[in-house]
Amino acid sequence: MSAIITNINDLDLNGTYSYADYLLWQFSERLELIKGKIFQMSPAPSRSHQQVSLKLTREIDKVFLNHKCELYIAPFDVRLVDFKNSTAENQIFSVVQPDLCVICDLDKLDEKGCLGAPNLIIEILSKGNSKKDLKIKFDLYEENGVQEYWIVNPSEKQVHIYTLQNGAYIGSRPYIMETEIQSPTFPELKFEVDKIFEA
Amino acid sequence: MGATITNINDLDLNGTYSYADYLLWQFSERLELIKGKIFQMSPAPNSFHQEVLGNIYYQFRSTFNKHKCKVYLAPFDVRLLDNKKSTADNQVLTVVQPDLCVVCDPTMVDKKNCVGAPNLIIEILSRSTSNKDMTIKFDLYQENGVQEYWIVNPFEKEVHIYTLQNGKYIGSRPFILETEIQSPTFPELKFEVDKIFET
Repeated sequence: MSAIITNINDLDLNGTYSYADYLLWQFSERLELIKGKIFQMSPAPSRSHQQVSLKLTREIDKVFLNHKCELYIAPFDVRLVDFKNSTAENQIFSVVQPDLCVICDLDKLDEKGCLGAPNLIIEILSKGNSKKDLKIKFDLYEENGVQEYWIVNPSEKQVHIYTLQNGAYIGSRPYIMETEIQSPTFPELKFEVDKIFEA
Repeated sequence: MGATITNINDLDLNGTYSYADYLLWQFSERLELIKGKIFQMSPAPNSFHQEVLGNIYYQFRSTFNKHKCKVYLAPFDVRLLDNKKSTADNQVLTVVQPDLCVVCDPTMVDKKNCVGAPNLIIEILSRSTSNKDMTIKFDLYQENGVQEYWIVNPFEKEVHIYTLQNGKYIGSRPFILETEIQSPTFPELKFEVDKIFET
């Protein structure tokens, strides 16, 4: 049985870890596990990231208040299950913290977070999360059947929505300022793009 | 019958014009007509925009060398027809200058330029035109049946490809550095994204 780790430097950043290991980490750095690999998160998100996150939460919360699906905001662990579909902690190799997510199957929720694919995931880009992470998460969410994935770019004031169709993501038009965005999965979720990017 | 216009200030920028009018304009400012409305283009694209365009052209040229489809670079007028499909100069209300386009039907290209929808259009975003490229031109190309539309973002070093399916554009994943981009319409057209943005 492994021991608690309190210093991130005691980890092999190129090693392979499971959720069972992750549960033993008690340092302050935030990180995600994707297929067993460690992805460090920026120590604290930037102010603009947090502004957009708050405004998005306001818009989305309106819709999911008194709704059968629930909205969660980061930090919130989402455990994704690999193809073996084992939910044993030492068989789970992906644990991510999406900025926002919506889950409709409440059986997926436990005290630790969510086990299985949310119906909607929103990631807000920041200077810290590299484009490489973006590609890895795109593939991860597609593979895991996350029905809808929003990529929000605060510096470009742009949103792209990807929806699963026959197991592959298809992209929306670019949603930019002065247009209205609408979720294909939750059509009641729609608002002016300006609402999330205006200063 | 209109007379030659040599000063852009003599135009009513909120007026409605046709290709017949456009042919009489002899000032140096570049503009496009979309459904009769004037859209001014940035005076001259910046150097990075031009480098990116050069890089893309280089990749396209090698694929379309001795190919039945031809590659054209801006400034190159593309006249798009409205539902009446009349090609009379005074019935054509849309004339755009995409950064790059591929035309497979040689009968669409006359001495002046191209009449009808190219098979592929690329727009490289610039700060002043990006909204037009992502909304007005997106809708225009979709309506007119441009099979494939690339939006190249030099600021984010990212490309999105939209392909027509049942009259609607569906978007690709974001193509970012260190990945390979491939055209759905012309699968032989594929190269590393890095090649587009290197300087």
